[in-house]
Amino acid sequence: MKVNAVTKTYEGKTVLRMPALEFEPGRICAVMGANGSGKTTYARILAGVVRADGKIKPFEGNESVGYMPQKSYPFRMTTLSNVNLIVKDKARALDLMRTLSIDHLAKQRAGSLSGGETARMALARLFMGEFDVLVLDEPTASMDIESTALTEELIKKACRERQCVMILVTHSLKQVQRVADDLLFLYKGELIEHGEAKKVLSSPTRQETKQFLEFLGD
Amino acid sequence: MKTALQQALELIIGGSGELSNILLVTARVSLTSSLVSLIIGVPIGLLLGSKSFFGRRALVVISRTLMGMPPGVCGLLFYMMFSGVGPFGRYKLLFTVEIMILAQVVLIIPLVVSNMETYVSRISDQVRETARGLGLKGLRVYVLLANESVYQIFTTYLLAFARAVAEVGAVSMVGGAIAWKTNVMTTAIMLYTNRGSFTLGVALGLILMTISLAVNILVTLLQRRLSR
Ligand SMILES: Nc1ncnc2c1ncn2[C@@H]1O[C@H](COP(=O)(O)OP(=O)(O)O)[C@@H](O)[C@H]1O
Ligand SMILES: [Mg+2]
Repeated sequence: MKVNAVTKTYEGKTVLRMPALEFEPGRICAVMGANGSGKTTYARILAGVVRADGKIKPFEGNESVGYMPQKSYPFRMTTLSNVNLIVKDKARALDLMRTLSIDHLAKQRAGSLSGGETARMALARLFMGEFDVLVLDEPTASMDIESTALTEELIKKACRERQCVMILVTHSLKQVQRVADDLLFLYKGELIEHGEAKKVLSSPTRQETKQFLEFLGD
Repeated sequence: MKTALQQALELIIGGSGELSNILLVTARVSLTSSLVSLIIGVPIGLLLGSKSFFGRRALVVISRTLMGMPPGVCGLLFYMMFSGVGPFGRYKLLFTVEIMILAQVVLIIPLVVSNMETYVSRISDQVRETARGLGLKGLRVYVLLANESVYQIFTTYLLAFARAVAEVGAVSMVGGAIAWKTNVMTTAIMLYTNRGSFTLGVALGLILMTISLAVNILVTLLQRRLSR
């Protein structure tokens, strides 16, 4: 699936400059990079939340894009109602919630969930829909080890079964090793590495990537 | 003063034809005008607070300015438009309950709009980003925004009602404070005080203060819920 080259400029400062890319359905593409490198900006452009410079559309066709923001927002209703929002199917909603181990919170107000629980609620809510592209912005950032494992399982399974393009922004090297097929590496808004995750991790071409990976290796 | 207070309390407890008529007219005017203002103002506030379009800022400034419009100016405007020689004179609405409601609606809509706009603009980015990410569009996003603002809508209604009940400038000008017809609590207080008969004035004042107290307690409780 083709994605156009896009740039984003805020007040004269270009914070993102991405070339045209090709994403393959059924594969998970991780996006890594330091804070402020432009990961969220890219995710938002792909999701259509933010307009790229020149109003360039990221996709040529009318691909449906599902997107989980970095900060999950619980709507003022129960956890189940939040999950059961885009397509009404209670049984499937509860099933998804069970997969992420939040089914016991079904009747609780979503606003009262913890950070990790809110993120799992948001993930279940998003996975209720059918999308050609899924963009997840650091979904496991506030989750514990068990929830992270459940989430990674769900992401892998959903990607293979639905054959959708899965773009996963993450800070975790281990997560990339566990789930990613491909990897994009951003540095100060520029794409400095891109290819199969294993190759990029084992033989990065740029000094900045090496340094970043060394840090994460600690 | 003590006897006036005693008499006033007796009047409230015993009830009098005129007092209950004043209360009825007041309820009809204030409840209707605040409700109509809410129905018109909330969608405008939702739109202004959540969508960016050309002229949005200007509209927000206008709405905030109109919020401070003196009721007398609003009354004057309606008086001129609906008096015998005015453009709408033929509708013969001057000195009726209907025009009192109309004037108050115009007076209160900016309060509703500004209140909603301020609240919605704080939550709208996150709500819209989340809704967009879920593939939700158009009306469904506004339904979600309204659902997120339910307590704020209640609070805004109470403030609108409080303003309507306590307002005197507009209703006295376009209503004329005609006994048994367009006399509301605030205009009655003025009228009876001018005549030197304090009893009814004090009774009405007590009722007004009680309403105001109840409204403010409710608003405080709602805001406690909101901040959680
Ligand atoms: N709305 C905005 N206005 C101005 N600058 C922004 C805005 N959004 C993001 N930026 C800037 O763009 C850069 C990239 O941000 P972001 O994409 O959130 O980084 P990341 O997600 O990789 O941490 C940062 O320097 C940030 O300050
Ligand atoms: Mg980010």
